[in-house]
Amino acid sequence: MLIQVPKPPKSAFDPNRPVSSLLVAQMEYLHEAEKRLPSRYHSQIYINAVKTEGEAAKYIRHVTEAIHEAHLEAAFARMRVVPKRKRAIELAAVADEQAEHKLATRTKKKSGGKKSASKHRRKE
Amino acid sequence: MPPGLEQLQHIVVLMMENRSFDHMLGSLKAVNPQIDGVTPDLSNPDTNGNAVQAQPLAEFQAQLQPDPDHHFPAVDLQIFGGSTDPNRVANMQGFVKSYFNQQKDVAHSQKIMYYFAQNQLPVLTTLALQFAVFNRWFASIPGPTICNRAFAHYGTSFGRVDMNLIYLNEPFKSIYDRLIGATPKHTSKLYYYDTTSSTMEITNLLQNQPELFGTFPQFLDDCAKGNLTDYSFIEPNYNDHEGDSGEEVANDQHPDHNVQAGELFIAQVYNAIKSSPLWPNTALLIVYDEHGGIYDHVVPPACKPDQFTASANDTGTGMPFAFDRLGVRVPAILVSPWIPAGTVVNRVFDHASIPATITKFFLGDYSPRSPRETNADVFIEPNSGAVDPARNLLSLDVMRTDCPDFDV
Repeated sequence: MLIQVPKPPKSAFDPNRPVSSLLVAQMEYLHEAEKRLPSRYHSQIYINAVKTEGEAAKYIRHVTEAIHEAHLEAAFARMRVVPKRKRAIELAAVADEQAEHKLATRTKKKSGGKKSASKHRRKE
Repeated sequence: MPPGLEQLQHIVVLMMENRSFDHMLGSLKAVNPQIDGVTPDLSNPDTNGNAVQAQPLAEFQAQLQPDPDHHFPAVDLQIFGGSTDPNRVANMQGFVKSYFNQQKDVAHSQKIMYYFAQNQLPVLTTLALQFAVFNRWFASIPGPTICNRAFAHYGTSFGRVDMNLIYLNEPFKSIYDRLIGATPKHTSKLYYYDTTSSTMEITNLLQNQPELFGTFPQFLDDCAKGNLTDYSFIEPNYNDHEGDSGEEVANDQHPDHNVQAGELFIAQVYNAIKSSPLWPNTALLIVYDEHGGIYDHVVPPACKPDQFTASANDTGTGMPFAFDRLGVRVPAILVSPWIPAGTVVNRVFDHASIPATITKFFLGDYSPRSPRETNADVFIEPNSGAVDPARNLLSLDVMRTDCPDFDV
């Protein structure tokens, strides 16, 4: 069963349609969210002056994308604060080296030579 | 376990805007008498006292201007016909009166009674006839969009009956938080149409958890790749705008947006799921957030009160509201290849049934949930334990291969 679905006429598109109470509410919510964003993300759009769907759409897009960007930026900044982890990795590397050193010392004691242990390390 | 439930892994909800059941699906009474649609005896009085019949004269656009009032006091008038008596009885006789209040034009106010003929809505009516249509799915509140949509996300509107929803430190988690916070973890996504349309769930979700959101093109891609999350919620395009690929016509069907654009959108959602490798494992619920002030004949039933009460000041009617009555009936259709064609469901549902169903299906017992959600019926039975065949809508033993296709 294949059902044909008629497309709306070209005239259905009207970005100059007066903004509905739903879109006004959506903008007001976004405006509250915008106030919490860092100022560099602010839109400079005065929502009380928005009268059409097209104007509302521009504001909605700006703030929605700003929210995503601000969260991404924060996540990126969080990743850059990884030195703690880096330090942990470094510590682990040092620990490995110490363990290796102990092993080498033990081997040295057994074989009686420092050279063989350092050679072994270089090979790694 | 019935194979349809056993195979079910993904539930998708598409919530459209502001149309009543009779307005969109009322014509189907003539096709299937089990569907509780429009009959010739249905009418509302106009302000001259004349009976205005429900008629199949609805148009796709430019008929319902201004947007019919659907805020709490107007819906109260629509449901109770203007009576404020403490012992009043709901009669659905105030729709024309309510619309008259906006323009004081008797002829124009009668248009609120118009409904679509079946052939005008080939997508919605075909899906209703081919899968499961709900005779008793109501908006959660006799009020506007935001508080009704909140019920779909949280199972409550936290006491609000209007467009102002701030839920700080509220006790009930969104369905998305419940899923992603569960052990084992489940997945969930809200798809808005694009960033220019965005979401109506800004205060708690977009603002704090933007990672939950995707776009409609991402939904199409996720369907094609078989990457759907366990639970997906889709929002339509709420405004006309220039998109990256040209003109984007609002497809939410909110008056005065074009209804055909919404038909096309519903078909796109359905086609994406049907052509996905996940079709055998997916159920799609298409539902409208509220009636948008447009006529419906079924009296919304009383329900278990929520733990919140809206004050007389907040309702604007001079009376408080304990969330003990549902809103006006809306279209709702459940789609799955495991549902027999022609299924008609007579149990009572509202949008609190959405988190109730998703929670029970994926997580089982869960608390805390709002009293309204706890008492809401589920439209998909949990896939654990014994299943009551009388309640299971995905009841076929063998998956259908005769489901419709839409040429978009």
